[in-house]
Amino acid sequence: MPVETDADPVTPIAGLPAPDQRPLLVAQHVSRHFEGVHAVEDVSLDVLPGRITGLIGPNGAGKSTFLAVLAGTLPASSGSIIFDGHDVTALPAFRRARRGLVRTFQLPSEFAQLTVLENLLAAAPDNRGDTLRGALLGKRYWKGDEDRLVEQARILLDRFRMSAKESDYASSLSGGQKRLLEIMRALMLQPRLLLLDEPMSGVHPSIIGDIADYCEALRDEGLTILMVEHELHMIERMANPVVVMAQGSVIGQGTMAALRQQREIVDAYLVG
Amino acid sequence: MTYYLTTILVYAAVDILACLAISLQFGVSGIVNFSFIIFQAAGAYTAAVLSLPRDTANGGFQNYILGLNLSFPLPWIAATVVGAVIAVPIGLVALRRLRSDYQAIAMLVLSVIASLVVTNTPAFLGGAAGLSLVPQPLSDKFNPYSDSYQWAFTIGALILAVIVFFLVQRVINSPYGRSLRAMRENEAAANALGKNAVALKMTVFIAGGAIAGLSGAILVGFITIWAPSTWLYPETLILFAAVIVGGRGNNYGAVLGALLVPVGFEEATRYIPPFGPPGLIPALEWVCIGGLILGFLWFRPRGVLPERRRVFPPRRQVAEVGNPSASRD
Amino acid sequence: MSLIVAAFGFGLVSMSIIAISAVGFTMQFGITNMINLAYGQVMIASAYAAYAVNNAGVSIWLALPVAAVFGALFSFLLNRLVYAPFQRKGTNLIGMVIISLAVSLVIANVMLPIVGYYSVSYHQNPGTTYHLGSIAVTGEQLAIIGVAVVVMLAIHALLRLTRLGKAMRATAANPTLARNCGIPTARVIDLAWLITGALCGIAGAVAGMNSDSFSVASGSEFLIPIIAASILGGAGSPYGAMIGAVIIGEMTEISAAIISPEYKQVVAFAVLVLVMVLRPQGLLAKRGALAAAG
Repeated sequence: MPVETDADPVTPIAGLPAPDQRPLLVAQHVSRHFEGVHAVEDVSLDVLPGRITGLIGPNGAGKSTFLAVLAGTLPASSGSIIFDGHDVTALPAFRRARRGLVRTFQLPSEFAQLTVLENLLAAAPDNRGDTLRGALLGKRYWKGDEDRLVEQARILLDRFRMSAKESDYASSLSGGQKRLLEIMRALMLQPRLLLLDEPMSGVHPSIIGDIADYCEALRDEGLTILMVEHELHMIERMANPVVVMAQGSVIGQGTMAALRQQREIVDAYLVG
Repeated sequence: MTYYLTTILVYAAVDILACLAISLQFGVSGIVNFSFIIFQAAGAYTAAVLSLPRDTANGGFQNYILGLNLSFPLPWIAATVVGAVIAVPIGLVALRRLRSDYQAIAMLVLSVIASLVVTNTPAFLGGAAGLSLVPQPLSDKFNPYSDSYQWAFTIGALILAVIVFFLVQRVINSPYGRSLRAMRENEAAANALGKNAVALKMTVFIAGGAIAGLSGAILVGFITIWAPSTWLYPETLILFAAVIVGGRGNNYGAVLGALLVPVGFEEATRYIPPFGPPGLIPALEWVCIGGLILGFLWFRPRGVLPERRRVFPPRRQVAEVGNPSASRD
Repeated sequence: MSLIVAAFGFGLVSMSIIAISAVGFTMQFGITNMINLAYGQVMIASAYAAYAVNNAGVSIWLALPVAAVFGALFSFLLNRLVYAPFQRKGTNLIGMVIISLAVSLVIANVMLPIVGYYSVSYHQNPGTTYHLGSIAVTGEQLAIIGVAVVVMLAIHALLRLTRLGKAMRATAANPTLARNCGIPTARVIDLAWLITGALCGIAGAVAGMNSDSFSVASGSEFLIPIIAASILGGAGSPYGAMIGAVIIGEMTEISAAIISPEYKQVVAFAVLVLVMVLRPQGLLAKRGALAAAG
């Protein structure tokens, strides 16, 4: 049965084979307050590797804030975040990203005046030319890295069927293409855990299925995903477990089917 | 004629340096440094007080600190370093995680205050009267009034501008420059992708400060005087106008802007017959500068020479020709 | 000691002028999301408008409403003709702050040939000087303090008691949400520019009264304590600006007495730096108002 907020975070989750895998990310009693408003209140959550974990809940439930706290975009007011065995609570966002904890944003956040390919390259780590010194040493110094990364980016573009757009400014993409671009951009960092903040919002219905396919394929290759999303039928299809938040707290988790049996959760959110 | 040409060309070199720095900070990285002119001033004052003798010399008609009588190129090097060094505390306070327009007004206020402090502290850097009789570089070895000296100075200044041009060019066309542009477009997203935005901003702020400091040293080495009236905050806006007109994020645009706006305005007024009461022409000039900014931001926000789209050579060519020299701009 | 007490008296007048201007400045930011760097120049233009009337033989107190109306219309038109079109075009925050500085430069230099390069002073009668210990204030200065108190109370009443005030606060908090709730945000913003412009005009005139003389160049000088008080109080917060004005007004006058009047602005600046280091959001910040985007 779904676990209550204040329960021990390692309690086995209903609907799953008792997971003996170590969680990839452990959030313990995480809170985030803005000037007295409790956006996230004492949330504990384990993210199990190799799965898509869905995070759902009504608007204003604190889902996006929680995601931002996990990624380090916003500091936690209290609580701790353990990623891959390391306490990352005090690390700034860019250091968490370099460790493989990478997020996307709810609002389109493409680098508008960079081309699609440049958007991917800008995200790539390990380019010798990506320091002031490396840049001043000239192209010969960093060209090897650059060529390797261009190749890597083009493989991604092929896979996401965006090769034709390579040299277009990212600002010219459609909403759905921007979502794909952001996912590809995150993949350039070869993340361990991908935090997706409503990857299907503002997307043409015909592309929603594509995004779900890509996410499932990435999961099958071993990528762990935590996804905030309002498209419940897609969550139902992809995510296990699903975590429900309301008013800053986790009010239940389990498979979507199990959650639908929970009266208080249905009342709070799943109506219709 | 020599005097006229060399003056124009030295001013051009100085304005090009300043515009390159602003292009790097504002055009490429999205930092609005409204205190830019104080970095140039810091360089000029540094070069001046290091090359001047003690202030008791020349009958002690002006007061200033130091007066170390150092010979070239030490004052210019020191000016570059000081421009970089003062960028550190200013950047640490002003470039914190705040809204970009808020950062801009903080730096504007700093510019006004710095001018106020220097003006009201005569013993520090000559106060409102400023500094004069600043020795020109190597003036102890050569006659600074000769044509050949003037030309040598001019060529030296232009060479420095060209060197800085190519260094900045290297930076903005590198993966590092791409990270700067990514930060300009969306700082939060850049952070989430592993870019240390604070470090990126501080680095270009310091680099721009160094270039500004050098430009100040060159200018004071040529005109031999420096005073608060030469670095009031609207001067920064002229340079922004130049970069906006020329094209932000494009080095050629920065050069074009430097030649069209600060240099061009200076030259244009030289040929306009004086009309109206005294002061009317400068006032109109400022109105034109403001109008240029508004007009370009409205009609052609990316400038005459916009930032260029970076296209990478197609894959097939990479495979077959084996010469993937990316035509990066 | 008596020097400091006397300075405290001047501080009361200073803070009154800063409060009127800073509340207008910060409300412009809060409601329209725009840092209007031309504010100081509009103040000066309004001060000159009052001067024109005053010079024609009208009492400066009767010229005060002229300055208010002038400032209101000027600000309104500035927004309608320049700022709003650029904002609609999608110009980002950086672009807008550059635009407002360019506008400030244009206003100052269009004014110069019209009003001249020399400082002017109002024809005024400072009235009897009242003494309280070492504090000495003229009747006129008392009246300025009175104007400030009335203006602050009026702003308080506007924000708390009227529908317009509510609509303004809602627009400031979230313009999209406000629009969706049926608030005519375009009209609210127009009215906000008229009201804050009136404050700007009044502030210009009283600042002119309180200084021996003023000129076009005074515009940027006015702006420094205004920015300092607004940031100290928390940009976008009218009540914060009032508190900021009290602190900046007193600190500048008292430090002028202790150190030197030339460094008045430097003290305002030092406070600003301290705030930016210790509490960048100010004392009473509008939540998230100054967070970096995203």
